[in-house]
Amino acid sequence: MRTSITIAGPLLAVLFLPGAGGAQDGRGAPPAGRGVAPNANYPPYARPVSAYSPPRTADGQPDISGLYVAIPLPRGIETPLVPMANRAPNRANSEFSYSLNERPKLPEGAIARPVGVDPADGKIPLTPEALARRKDIIANQGKIEYLDGRVLCLAPGVPRTTISAPVVGYQIFQKPGYVVIFYEQNHLYRTIPLDGRPPLDPNIRKAMGVSRGRWEGNVLVVEVTNFTNNLSNNWVIGAVSATPGVPAESLTTGHGIPHSELYRVTERYTPIDANTIHYEARIDDPKVFTQPWTIAYYAFARAPKNYVPVEYACFEGNDKNLLLMTNTDISGIRVDVP
Amino acid sequence: MKKPIATIGAATSLALLTIGMGAGLAQAQRGATPPRASAVDPASTYNGPRTPDRKPDLNGIWQALGTAHWNIEAHSASEGVPAGFGVVEGGTIPYQPWALAKRNENFQNRLMADPLRKCYMPGVPRAMYLPFPFEITQTPNHIGIAYEFAHATRTIFLDGTAHLDDLDFWMGDARGKWQGDTLVVDTVSLGDKTWFDGAGNFHSDALKVVERFTPMDATHVNYEATIDDAKVFTRPWKLSMIIYRRLEKNLELLDYECAEHVYEKLFKKRGGQP
Repeated sequence: MRTSITIAGPLLAVLFLPGAGGAQDGRGAPPAGRGVAPNANYPPYARPVSAYSPPRTADGQPDISGLYVAIPLPRGIETPLVPMANRAPNRANSEFSYSLNERPKLPEGAIARPVGVDPADGKIPLTPEALARRKDIIANQGKIEYLDGRVLCLAPGVPRTTISAPVVGYQIFQKPGYVVIFYEQNHLYRTIPLDGRPPLDPNIRKAMGVSRGRWEGNVLVVEVTNFTNNLSNNWVIGAVSATPGVPAESLTTGHGIPHSELYRVTERYTPIDANTIHYEARIDDPKVFTQPWTIAYYAFARAPKNYVPVEYACFEGNDKNLLLMTNTDISGIRVDVP
Repeated sequence: MKKPIATIGAATSLALLTIGMGAGLAQAQRGATPPRASAVDPASTYNGPRTPDRKPDLNGIWQALGTAHWNIEAHSASEGVPAGFGVVEGGTIPYQPWALAKRNENFQNRLMADPLRKCYMPGVPRAMYLPFPFEITQTPNHIGIAYEFAHATRTIFLDGTAHLDDLDFWMGDARGKWQGDTLVVDTVSLGDKTWFDGAGNFHSDALKVVERFTPMDATHVNYEATIDDAKVFTRPWKLSMIIYRRLEKNLELLDYECAEHVYEKLFKKRGGQP
C-alpha cells in the first residue's frame, strides 16, 4: 500500500533549534554572547553590487527563471551567530538536505553574516506592546491559538517563505508581464505582476500578500501588501521554539511577532551570478515596529540538474500533530466549499 | 512494489531524506533544450496567440463553468447544488458493482466525507473544475498551474523528467507533451484519497489520468480527461468540458485559504481568538 506525503508542521520547528545552522553561519567569527548585538563583529551591510547581467526572456526581462534551493541561514533572524565548535550536532546538515547531498554554498567572496542588517545593531525594533505580545506567545506554546501559523500549515507570508526550511525548493517562472514563484514549502505560490497596476482594495487580504513588482536594472523589486490578518497565528517571522536560555525580552529569538493590517514588505531579488540570487526584505508595520527593519542574505542557489521538486502536503494529515502538541482535535471540522 | 512512504510527523524526518533521495534518483533531464518547435499542427484550427516556441499561448487565468464540481454525472438540483448535464462521456461512470455501492455510500456521507470539506487538496482532475479560477504559467520546459482553492499547484514537466517512483501526491505527478496544438498531460501517483466531485465519485491509488488541453481559440480550451483505474471501473472512461479564459482587466487569483477557515471555526467555537 502507499500513503500520501504529508509533512507535518512540527518538522519545521526543528530547523530553528540550536544547531540547525548552515552555510551563512559565520564560522570563524568570534562568539557573540547574549546581550551582544548580533552584528557587532561584522562590517556594516552594503547591498551587493553585481556585474552579472542575466540573459533576457522573450519579453526582455532579466531571465532568472528556473529551479532553486535555499541557501541555509543562521538559525534565527536576530540570533547571534554561534561558532560551529559550540553547536549541538548539526541535525540540519544530516537530515534536511532538500533532496541534495551537498548543501548549497555562498558565491565566492560573499561575506557570511547575520541576516538582520538594519537597524545596525541587527535587532528587531519591536514596540513595547509587540514585545509583551511576544512574551505572551512564548509562554503559551501549549495552546493552538498561540502556535506559529506555519505549524498549523497556514501560509507563512513574506518574507518567511524565503527563509530556509527543511523543504525549500523554489521554482521561478517568468512569462510576459509576470514573475511567478512556486514554493516547494506547503505548495505556496505568488504571482507578481510587473505592469505597474495599483494595489488591491484594502478589504482584499491574501496570506502571501498582494505583490507588485518592477525591474530596476537586473534587480527585481517587489512591494507586498494586503496581508491576511484574520488569525492570531499570522506571524511576521520566526520560529516556534525559543532559543534555550534566551529570555523573550532579550530580542534575540526573533519569533512570535504577529503583524497588523499595515504590514508591508519591500523585497529585492539581486542576481549575483548565474547560480545565486541575493535577497533583501525591508519590513514595515508601524503598529508592531518602532521603525522599518531589513534582512538580507544570499537566499537562492540554482538547483542541481537532477533536482525534482516534490509536493509538500502540510495540512493534510497535520491533525494528528496538533492533537499531539496541543490536545486539539480538528479532525471533525468541516468547511463549506462553494 | 510501491514502498509505503511518508506520513511525515515530527519524529519521522528521516522519511524526508528518503523522499529527497527518490527525487535525486529520478532520471531527470532538467535544463535540456526542448526539442525544436515543430511546425504548427496542420489539423489544428487554433488561431489564437502563440508563445515564442510556437505553442498555443495558455498563459493566463482560466475557469470551468458548470456543475461538475458538485457531481460529474447528470443531476437535478438539490439544496445548494445547481442542476447539471454531467460531463461523463456516455453519461454514466462504469463502476464495478462493489465500487458503485461504495460511491452511493460516499454520497450519503458526503457532507462529512468529501475530502475537499476537510481542506485537502482537490486532486486531478477535480482541481480543473472547482468553482475557483486557476492560473497557467507556460514555459517551454515547465507548465505551472496555480489554483485559487487552498493554493494547490501542479508543475507539469515537459522536459523529459521521468515520473518519480514510490511516492503519491495529492495533485499527482504530471508529465506533459505537445501533440500538435494539444497539450497532453499524463498524471500518475494520485493516491486514493481524493474524489472526482462532491457526490462521492472516487478512485483508487491505481488511478491514471491523461488530460488533453485542446485550445479552440484564444479564450476557450476543450478539456478532456481519460480516467483509468482498473481497481474501481470496468473500463477507462472520459470526462470533458470547456474551460474559459477569464477576461476581466487586472484579474488576479485571490485566496481561498481553506485551512484558515478550519481554525476560524475552531477558535470561534472556543470563544474567539486571543
